[in-house]
Amino acid sequence: MSEVSTTPLLSLENVRVEFGGLVALNDVSFSVSRGEIVGLIGPNGAGKTTAFNVACGFVSPTAGNVNFPQAGKQNLRPHQLAQAGVARTLQGVGLFTHCTVLENVMAGGQRRPGGDFLTSLVGLTRGAKSEAQLRTDALEALDRLGVADFAKKLPSEIPYGISKKVSVARALINKPSLIMLDEPASGLDESELDEFAELISEMRKSMGVVLVEHNMEFVMPLVDRLVVLNFGQVIATGTATEIRSNPDVLAAYLGVDE
Amino acid sequence: MNFLRQNTTTRRLVVTVSSIVALMGLTFVVPPITNSTLTRGAAIVIAILGLNFLTGWSGQVSIGHAGFMAFGAFGTAILLKHFSSLPIAATMLLATALSALAGLLVGIPATRLSGPYLAGMTLAFGAAVPPLIQNLSSLTGGPAGLQLETIPTAPSWLRSLRHDTTSLITVNAQWLAMFSLLVVGVAVMLMSNLHASRTGRAMRLVRDNDVAAELVGLNLPRTRVLAFTISAAYAGLAGSLMAFTKGSVSPQDFLVGLSITILSLMVLGGIGTISGAILGGVIYAYSDNFLSWLTNSTGIDPYSNLGSNLKTIFFGGLLIVTMLTAPRGISGLISKVFAKVRTSR
Repeated sequence: MSEVSTTPLLSLENVRVEFGGLVALNDVSFSVSRGEIVGLIGPNGAGKTTAFNVACGFVSPTAGNVNFPQAGKQNLRPHQLAQAGVARTLQGVGLFTHCTVLENVMAGGQRRPGGDFLTSLVGLTRGAKSEAQLRTDALEALDRLGVADFAKKLPSEIPYGISKKVSVARALINKPSLIMLDEPASGLDESELDEFAELISEMRKSMGVVLVEHNMEFVMPLVDRLVVLNFGQVIATGTATEIRSNPDVLAAYLGVDE
Repeated sequence: MNFLRQNTTTRRLVVTVSSIVALMGLTFVVPPITNSTLTRGAAIVIAILGLNFLTGWSGQVSIGHAGFMAFGAFGTAILLKHFSSLPIAATMLLATALSALAGLLVGIPATRLSGPYLAGMTLAFGAAVPPLIQNLSSLTGGPAGLQLETIPTAPSWLRSLRHDTTSLITVNAQWLAMFSLLVVGVAVMLMSNLHASRTGRAMRLVRDNDVAAELVGLNLPRTRVLAFTISAAYAGLAGSLMAFTKGSVSPQDFLVGLSITILSLMVLGGIGTISGAILGGVIYAYSDNFLSWLTNSTGIDPYSNLGSNLKTIFFGGLLIVTMLTAPRGISGLISKVFAKVRTSR
């Protein structure tokens, strides 16, 4: 494991989310720092996706705060994340269906300088240069993941596992400091799972990783820390070994007679 | 010549300028009626380019674009009435800006709507503009509209280039065609820049997957409003060009039928493409000839209820047929044929 920075990249602080009368998250706190992989797990309906959505600003917290201490920001809106060095992949693949694979990855650099409206309209050289650089970076990103051959294809023309890699390439192209992976293992076969596990371990060297995952076999050996949610509350935090033997977690997953 | 192989600004400029110069050369040899037809189609090309950016690229439907064209046309006429010494280019730019402002104001509430609700809202806007113009008669001339104070007339160099026996009407018709081609050239060039740029991609990202678009840093309402503003600016420029080439403006020229016509032409030519917009303009320009042939050969009275609405019925029907048989329009069909030829080689 690489060195964990002390100032967290993301920190949820006593976050509460209510939908009407329903409490989806209650007093949830956890943090993610550079150099670590944090897994967010829990049974269905535990609030994992809501926790991700509140961190990304798709849902506003009813109480508490979502902090990005290293970026010096708080409660960001979704479109402000990229500029703050935060990338997120979506459940499924979340690609742009009518754009080629290459364009999908280039989309990750949408907010780089040189793409403003006037530069675009007049066709200034600096815009063209920035686009050319973005194209080169996107091809490199695809190449690193071994899927550069699909650059000209549309998402509907490529296999699911490749699509997942494309969405990761898009998230990585701007070298984020924090990456949020929403169910990275879902729908992948055995060999793809191994590849993805290696890929995520590699990410830890240069950024912080937080992921939501159902597949315990995939997540347990991968993460440095786990945050377990149940009924919208954090019931346990710790290493995979600690979590495995935690009676509250076992009860939540297996159910106990009271 | 390496730059011609890639889609660079230089290539786009070379292609646009050479096409416009070639077409301007043609205006010297074609009959005057063809020049007038060219002029009529030019404004529509610009209007379709604008609607394409909104509907084809950013995925927002508008059935009220004639309303924005009216802003451009009446803006031009009113400006010329009060500031007749203003250069034509400045008048056109100001009229375009006025329409862009209208686009901005319509675009803001439109960001909260999509699909049939957005279509309904834009339809309501398009339907409201002509009566509004009629009621502001002190400014707009009411139902009769306005005559333009100045219209572009052929400069002396063009007159001296033509044969002495060429009538002034013919030379003026040619000048209007050349002027329209110039405006279309600028509009096409700027739009092709947008298509090839990050702003253009932003529109397609927002259309394809709004959640993912936000995560790559796009502010959805701002992107959608920008699409509306640019689109309305193009419609305004089209309206302004229409005013200049016709010499008069009337609220009757900008009824909802025109909005539907433009929408049909966009789909017919090929949604989301510049070549489709140009094809749409050409079809529009020659549709009058076709429709008058139709009324003549079928004996429909052109002033009857059916005859006066024939254009809207024709383009509405064409829209349905195109959607069913060739959703990517004529330009889509052409590229399909080209792709087949290439693979069979």
